[in-house]
Formats: sequence, structure tokens, C-alpha cells
Amino acid sequence: MRRKNLNRIIRGFVLAAYFLCGVPVWAQTPSQPTTSTQAAPAPVLNAPFPVKEANPPSAEEMAKGDASGSLTGNVNDITVSNPKVGLTLADTLNQVGQNKVAINFVWTLITGFLVMFMQAGFAAVETGLCRAKNANHTMMMNFMVYGIGLFAYWVCGFALQMGGAAGVSSLGGAAPLSGEFALHIAGKTWGLWGTHGFFLTQGGTYDVAVMVLFLFEMVFMDTAATIVTGGCAERWKFAAFAVSSVFLAAITYPLFANWAWGGGWLSQLGANYGLGAGYADFAGSGVVHAVGGLSALAVAIIVGPRIGKYNRDGSSNAIPGHDITMVLIGCFILAFGWFGFNPGSTLGASGSLRIATIAVDTMLAGATGTFGAVFYMWIRYGKPDASMGGNGLLAGLVAITAPSGFVNTIGAAIIGLIAGVVVCLSVEYIDRVAHIDDPVGAISVHGTCGLWGVLSVGLFADGTGIGGVKGLFYGDAGQLVAQMIGVATLLGFVFTLSFVFNLLVDYFVGQRVSPQAELEGLDIPEMGALGYPEFVLKMQGPGMAAGTA
Amino acid sequence: MGGRKNFNYLETEMKFIGLLLAVCGWLLPVASLTWTSSLAARFIFALIGIALCLTGILGFLNRAYAKEAIWKK
Repeated sequence: MRRKNLNRIIRGFVLAAYFLCGVPVWAQTPSQPTTSTQAAPAPVLNAPFPVKEANPPSAEEMAKGDASGSLTGNVNDITVSNPKVGLTLADTLNQVGQNKVAINFVWTLITGFLVMFMQAGFAAVETGLCRAKNANHTMMMNFMVYGIGLFAYWVCGFALQMGGAAGVSSLGGAAPLSGEFALHIAGKTWGLWGTHGFFLTQGGTYDVAVMVLFLFEMVFMDTAATIVTGGCAERWKFAAFAVSSVFLAAITYPLFANWAWGGGWLSQLGANYGLGAGYADFAGSGVVHAVGGLSALAVAIIVGPRIGKYNRDGSSNAIPGHDITMVLIGCFILAFGWFGFNPGSTLGASGSLRIATIAVDTMLAGATGTFGAVFYMWIRYGKPDASMGGNGLLAGLVAITAPSGFVNTIGAAIIGLIAGVVVCLSVEYIDRVAHIDDPVGAISVHGTCGLWGVLSVGLFADGTGIGGVKGLFYGDAGQLVAQMIGVATLLGFVFTLSFVFNLLVDYFVGQRVSPQAELEGLDIPEMGALGYPEFVLKMQGPGMAAGTA
Repeated sequence: MGGRKNFNYLETEMKFIGLLLAVCGWLLPVASLTWTSSLAARFIFALIGIALCLTGILGFLNRAYAKEAIWKK
């Protein structure tokens, strides 16, 4: 009896030893390579597929209705290319590919629609921060910039920006966008602008993927264009605004966007000069916001401050907006639209599940941006200022736009918090030191915080995000240098180009309204109708008696 | 009248210098890509470039416009 038990125990040990040692060895031993001839024969792509094995619901079952939702969408819904042969593997694979691209089309279009709705947010914020006597004028600039920008971008802006950006795999390639004008300097290629896509027909660009890309990129460009209207509000001539916006949409914005997103030289700094992954601007802190903010700075310098903004000794007067509720509702609309701006910049949901992190980064940075601005104002001035709270939210969102695809949530929170404080400091500097009148804080929110967002990629990118971009804090100083070259390009090229264009507009059209029109309010002189015709408005400005406008 | 002309001349010069500095601030770090392969040198050139741009825009160009600002008249 004891022997039997002992034998069992020994057998058990041997068996255990076999499994403990033998099985892992078996698992790690490379298996014999199997060739396709040894394995099951390769399926013939065009052979009929056994549809019945998929157990599709019968017509009778479908006729009863699908209350649970478990029957709708099955093998019967796959498009069959040849009804005589029936469903084939080729049909199934084509359907899989088309479904992937379709998901990405829908994602990109819907996020583009969200970004388009940001125009309403900008209109509300800017109008609310202006005086009631300029409400119609400010609202109309925000309204018209959409159509003006869209038209100019359709004519040539899109082609200059994306004409050489072929290879957008998430959207099926966008192959017709294959023309990039480039210079070859010191053995390197410097892409400068695209050459396909004028009027969305030239160069074979009458193409569905190109259309999706156009819609998405157009609403981004329009965001940049509408930023300028805020910085120059309450004294900008409507005709000058229209011409200036055409320049921005057709030339200034597309050139920089090509360099960053369209395969141009900035995006190639990594491949050509070993600077990280090249200039990285995921959703456009630089391309969209800094371009808009710096253009606003250029026009604001040319146009000059509003009458009554500064005293003769240089001290500034606060000119409060007329509707803070409109401002904060506009900020919420913008924050909502930003979920299109940043996650949508993946240009697809299928295969780009990073969209979840990007969305969370976006909301976090917006929140910490608000904290930063509100606490700064509270500590410095004793009250949590509402308009700066709104600007803090936007500053955080602007700053996270470039790094949202590359940073973790801690990085996003820090970037937003810094932006919230930076926007307050920048507003004070622009207003009191530089004596530049910016009624809505557009230069600080979009210009300064846009530049901070670009630099933050070079610091906080953790290497796990899109393209493996890694910043200084994660071991790649080259990325920071690439970002700094991007900042220098924004300041030195974009600002200068915008300034020169607007100088021409000033010469031929005139940028500023007459002092009489400015004091009266621009609604009647420029637009012919008041924004609030049944309200009694108080006239402001030196030498103006109180009365109705 | 002559004083006013000199004043305008100075402003125009300042504007031109401002724009020139901004453009140089951009071209310097870009050109340095071909001059050196040292990361530290490229970092310094980029830093100098940004400083030049800001000096040109805010220190010269904006000041030139501020000289003839509406609130000084």
C-alpha cells in the first residue's frame, strides 16, 4: 500500500517536472516554419463564400422586427460585386477596408462640423467683450469671415497648403494631392507649397478623400481668420477686414500650414537634420492659433488703439464688454468645439484610439487654464475676474492644441495651468507696456499661448503618442530645437508677411474707421443698422455728450 | 515742419529695422541648420533668433507706431 502511494507520488513529481520544465521549453522552441503549401490551401479570393455558415437571420425573422438590435447588420449587408458568383472573400475584404475608411470619413467630418460651430463661439465671445454700440459690426465680421475665408481657401489656400500632402492613409491615401513645390538646398529637400487642388478640381482632386480633408482643414483655417477680428474690433474698417481675411486665408495661413502639416520643410526637420520628429504641431497651437494671434498683433499695431483706451500719460483705461453672459456661453461653445479640434486631428477613429487620451488632455488643460487665470486674478486683484476666467479656459485649450497628441494627462494639466497664468501676464504686458489695444485678448490667448503650446511639445511629449514624438523631459532635446525653429518662423515669417499684407491694405483701402464713426459706434456708419436698436446706448469718448446712438 | 519730417523719417527707419530684425530672427536659426550639426549650437541660434524677432516686433516696430499713436496727439 505504501509502495503504491510512493509510486503515485513519484509519478506525480515526474509529471509535474515535465509540465514545469518541458512545456515552457516546448513553448519557446521555434516551431517549424509552415509554408502555405503545408498549411491549408490559401483561400481563393474570388471563390464563393459559404454565407450559410455565418447564420444570417432569415427574411421572416427580419420581418418580425429587430427589437434587441442583434440581427441588424450581418453578412447579408456586405456588398456583392458579382451576384452570379455570390459573396466572395474579396468582397468581404473590400468591405472591411471601406468600413475602416468610412469610419474615419465620418469621424473627420463630424469633428470638422464641431470645429465649424466654434465660429459661433468666437462670435459670442468677441461681441460680448465689445461695447453694445459695436455689436452688429463685430458679429458681422465673425459671420462674414466664414464665407470669405472659405471662398479664398477653395480658390487657392487649400492647394498651397495640402497640394502635396498625399499619403493620408486613414482617409484612403488622398493620392491626387501629390504636387509639392520644393527647393533642393545642401542636399536636402525644402518643401515650400502645394501645387494640386486649386478649386478642388485641378490635378485630379475631384476626389472624396480630398473633399473630407478640405472640409476639415478649411474650418481650421477659418478659426485662424476669425481670431484677427477680435484683436482689431471696434475700430477696424469692414472693407479692410474683408481684404485682409482673403490674404490670410489664401496665402499666409496656407504657407505655414504647408510647412507644418502639408509635408513642407518644418515637418522634415527630423528626417533632414535629426531634430526629433521634426516640427510637431498636432492640432495647431502654432498653425492655427499663433498664426491668428500674430496676424491680430500685426493688424492691431497698424490700426492703433481705440479712442479713449489710453490717456496722454500712457496709462490705460479698462473698456469693459457689454455682455459677460454672452462671453462665457461663447467660451463653453468653444470648449465643446475643441473636442472636434484636437481629437479630430487624428483624421480617423479606426486605428487611432489615442483619441481618448487626446480628448481627456483637452478637457484637463482647459480646466487647469481656467484655474490658473482665475487664481492669478484673485490673488493679484482680489476678485476672480469672469472675462479672464473665460480667457484662461481658452488659453489652456490653445496651449494643449499642439501637444494633445503627444502628452500624458499630467503634462496636459501642467501645460494648461501655465497657459492660464501666462495669458494674464501677457494681457497686462500687451495692454500696459506695449500699449497695444486688444479688446478681447486675442493676441495673448492665441498668439502668446499658441507659442507656448508649440514649445510645450518640445518639453512634455512623452514618446507614447502619435509618431512617437519625445520632448526634452523624456530625453530628446532635438525636438525642443525643432519647436523653437517653428516659433522663430511664426514670429519672423508669419508676422512679417501678415504685417506687409496689411500695410498694403492700409495703403489702398485704409484700415481704420474715422474718429467720428468710432465714437458713434460702428454699427450705423459701417453696417447701417444697430445691433440693439431698441436699447438706449450711452455715448463714450472725449467730447461726446451722453445720449442715444 | 522740418522737425515733423525728421520725426517721420525716424519712425519709418524704426519700422524698417523692426521688420528686418524679425526676418533675420527667423532666417538665423534656419540657416544655422546648414552651418552646424551641434544641437547646443542650434539651440543657441534658435534662442537668439526668437529674441531678435521679439525685439524687432515689440522693441522697434511697435514703438515706431506708438510714437504716432492717437492718444499722444
